[in-house]
Amino acid sequence: MAKGKTEVLQGTLDLMILKTLHALGPMHGYGIARRIEQLSQEVLVLNEGTVYTSLVRLQQQGSIASGWGVSENNRKARFYSITKRGLKQLDRETENWERISGVIGRVLRLESEE
Amino acid sequence: MNELFRRLRYLLNRRRFDQELAQDMDFHREMAAREGRQNFGNPLRLREEARDAWGWTWIDALFQDFRYAARTLRKSPGFTLVAILLLALGIGVNVAAFGFFNLMVLRPLPVRQPETILHFERRAPGNFADNFPYSEVRFYQAHSRSLSAVLALNFDSLVMEGEEKPLHAHFVTANFFSELGGGPALGRVLDPVRDEVLEEELVAVLDHRFWERHFAADPSVIGRAIRLNGKPVTVIGVAGRKFSGLGLDPPDLWLPISQCAFFSKRKQAQEDFSGDGMQVQMWGRLQPGLRPRVAEQELSSLAKELHAQHPNDTWKDESLLSAHGGRAVTVRSEMYPFLGMAGALCVLILVVACSNLGGLLLARGVTREREIAIRVAVGAGRGRLIRQLLTESLVLACLGLAAGMALGSIVLRLLIAWTNLPEWLSAWPDWRVTAFAAGIGLVAAMLFGLTPSLEISKQRHRASLLRKLLIGAQVAASCMLLIAAGLLVRALNHAIYTNPGFEYRQIISLDPRFRGYTPDQARSYFAALRDRLRNLPGVESVALASNPPLGNRWTVITTEIGDRTVDVHINHVDPSFFQTMNIPLLRGRNLARGDTRAIIVSESLARRQWPAVDPVGKPFRMGTDNYMVVGVSGSARLVSPEDSDAVEIYQLADADLSPMVVMVRTSAPPEGMLRPVSAATKAIDPLLFPDVQLMKDSFHAKLRLSEYAALAASVPGVIALLIACLGILGLVSFAVSERTREIGIRMALGAKPSHVLAFVIRQFSFPIAAGLVVGMAGAAALSQVLRRVLYGISNLDPIAYLAALGVFAVAVTLAASLPAGRALGIDPARALRHE
Repeated sequence: MAKGKTEVLQGTLDLMILKTLHALGPMHGYGIARRIEQLSQEVLVLNEGTVYTSLVRLQQQGSIASGWGVSENNRKARFYSITKRGLKQLDRETENWERISGVIGRVLRLESEE
Repeated sequence: MNELFRRLRYLLNRRRFDQELAQDMDFHREMAAREGRQNFGNPLRLREEARDAWGWTWIDALFQDFRYAARTLRKSPGFTLVAILLLALGIGVNVAAFGFFNLMVLRPLPVRQPETILHFERRAPGNFADNFPYSEVRFYQAHSRSLSAVLALNFDSLVMEGEEKPLHAHFVTANFFSELGGGPALGRVLDPVRDEVLEEELVAVLDHRFWERHFAADPSVIGRAIRLNGKPVTVIGVAGRKFSGLGLDPPDLWLPISQCAFFSKRKQAQEDFSGDGMQVQMWGRLQPGLRPRVAEQELSSLAKELHAQHPNDTWKDESLLSAHGGRAVTVRSEMYPFLGMAGALCVLILVVACSNLGGLLLARGVTREREIAIRVAVGAGRGRLIRQLLTESLVLACLGLAAGMALGSIVLRLLIAWTNLPEWLSAWPDWRVTAFAAGIGLVAAMLFGLTPSLEISKQRHRASLLRKLLIGAQVAASCMLLIAAGLLVRALNHAIYTNPGFEYRQIISLDPRFRGYTPDQARSYFAALRDRLRNLPGVESVALASNPPLGNRWTVITTEIGDRTVDVHINHVDPSFFQTMNIPLLRGRNLARGDTRAIIVSESLARRQWPAVDPVGKPFRMGTDNYMVVGVSGSARLVSPEDSDAVEIYQLADADLSPMVVMVRTSAPPEGMLRPVSAATKAIDPLLFPDVQLMKDSFHAKLRLSEYAALAASVPGVIALLIACLGILGLVSFAVSERTREIGIRMALGAKPSHVLAFVIRQFSFPIAAGLVVGMAGAAALSQVLRRVLYGISNLDPIAYLAALGVFAVAVTLAASLPAGRALGIDPARALRHE
């Protein structure tokens, strides 16, 4: 749909889901996909179904929990929320990401100085 | 940990989770569609990926493979049956062999706490015995603190009134049954309190099988008196059916050892510490927590005390050694090579069966080319293909394992029944046998499944190298088995048909078993017996000997000849011995009355001691005495027909003739002379119960082990040959059908039949030849182990090898010629149209 469709690595998708749940509270799968698109300011357009693979994996690891709830239009849907373990994973991965991106940024700046 | 639980929860509720996910996705797509978005992606593929994330797809794949394998096997029933049969043979043989080994060696006897029972032997410098004077055992029983109980056993033959053959009896200490935990099936067994002291009444406990056979399981036999050696003995009970005693050979009845003296005067002196007293076998039960070494040391020091008290009767520096007493057979270290070889033979059969099956699988893989190609096209990786083919092999292996265990158990049951082993041995597999069988099944699956799977999945269906290897392996293994069988059969033949150096077929041996006879009485008895026997029609000659040939008694001295130690068998005989036994006197003269220092040596001894010189008149030293050689006799393997190293020395019988045994040579068939001979002894002294036996029975008994060995090797050899031939037949006919077009073209172009044959056979000639060479080399190596039992023939005996090769060559030629003959009958026109 939008230009600049970017492929997203599965691991980083996990991170984004955790962040979304942490920032915006429990929501269902559709909502999560919507929010991620919004937050990325329409740069990220993904096959929304891929969210589900991440959701299952995160559930297996125990980083998110799920329960039944009622959606906005009064439909029964599955709501996901972040757990304590998920919070810890979020912190850890955020720190990781910032460190890596810092290093890469430095390297890139180095090259441009040449 | 929690993750594991979550995964397990998923596993158990799979369908529900799947459905929920599907519902979720549907909901999502509805919402998206409402807002006009359509980039959800392929829900099916996403669900698959989600399922992968749950982590149990490998189980799904496994079940899928199993179901598919089962279907494929069902579709080709011929192949499946052949495969299962091959596996059943290969695995079955191994299961039966290991089961037998397990019963004899590994499994404990069904007695109470078998691991604490020890069997004792005694050793001293220059002496070795596995029995003890009973008084010595009583001494240990009284003074030992490391043993909580001591058991003793003495065996003897007793004659029961009305029975022709004597009964085997075990005289045991009164605590025998209570220590071993054997309760009675009827009546009571020996009681440690009641039967320790000699009572008025003589008692006996019957063996269960004996009771069934002789008394037709009649319960009224309890309390009844039977006559043994003329004495009335009350039957107090019948032992349990599964009671084993302490060995493989249960007797017909048990009696208290304190009553032994009543039946045999010779064993009377219970207080005698010397070798003339009653000799018994000794077992002990260790106190809990002690190790055998402690008991050995304590008993050895007790032996020293005993020697101090009775220095003339007991051995000096006697030490005791123990062995595990709770098993049926104890393996001595010299048996290890044989066991290894037997194991190797069984494994060889498995190799033959598995290589055969591998060849079949390979051939079948070629016909599945299309199926494999489709799978690869749809996206199966090589690993997936291998996994699927391996699963098929695993299914086959499981079926073959079940069939093999059933077959093995049946064979074992037959073996137990045929060799007349006691009832407590059960052919039913216990945990050891089952574990072994499972292991073998797995190994077999790997053997026959792995390499073909690897080859087939490569889609390189030519696979000729592997096929050749498999054939070569089969040929080598079968060859080795056949050669081993050939060697053992030759050895057996040699033992049976070679003249052992004396007459045994027409001889009856008679042991009078004197009770309380003085030497004078013995002498007059023998003189009277001689007269009577000589006057019997059909008797040719009578002689006396102290150690009857092929009997279970022998006297051996070890002496140095040159630089070798030689075991010399000594026999005290009367002058008519040589003539009766047909042993030729080669030099010098026979023994005569009054010869106290004269000996006759066997030719084998003469050759060694006095090579190239006439030994007559030469001195010979035995122990502390000097003797003179007066004659040389032909070598006779008097103790065992298989012992070609034997040397003998004959001396004139002592003045005391009590231990002598009578040898009677008959012109008529000896079976018919048994009764007249027994009657003659009864006429002289009706209170004696002599032991009368045919010498040829003893001869066959001695050879029985070799017979078993030859049989045990021949049967697998023939089976392996059959399997290998079937394999070759299958593969050659497959090669023919593969190249039908090519053969048709060649024949259409004018190839001669011999060329076509050569063409078909050529691809197999190298592997077969290589297999034969490897087989022969392997057999030569293996047979080194057999050397000790191959009496009289070398382990590289050319006749055995040639015979085995000959049989093999004929069989293989037949196997290969059938399909090759079919190749000749191929009609070129049809062949060209062959797909």
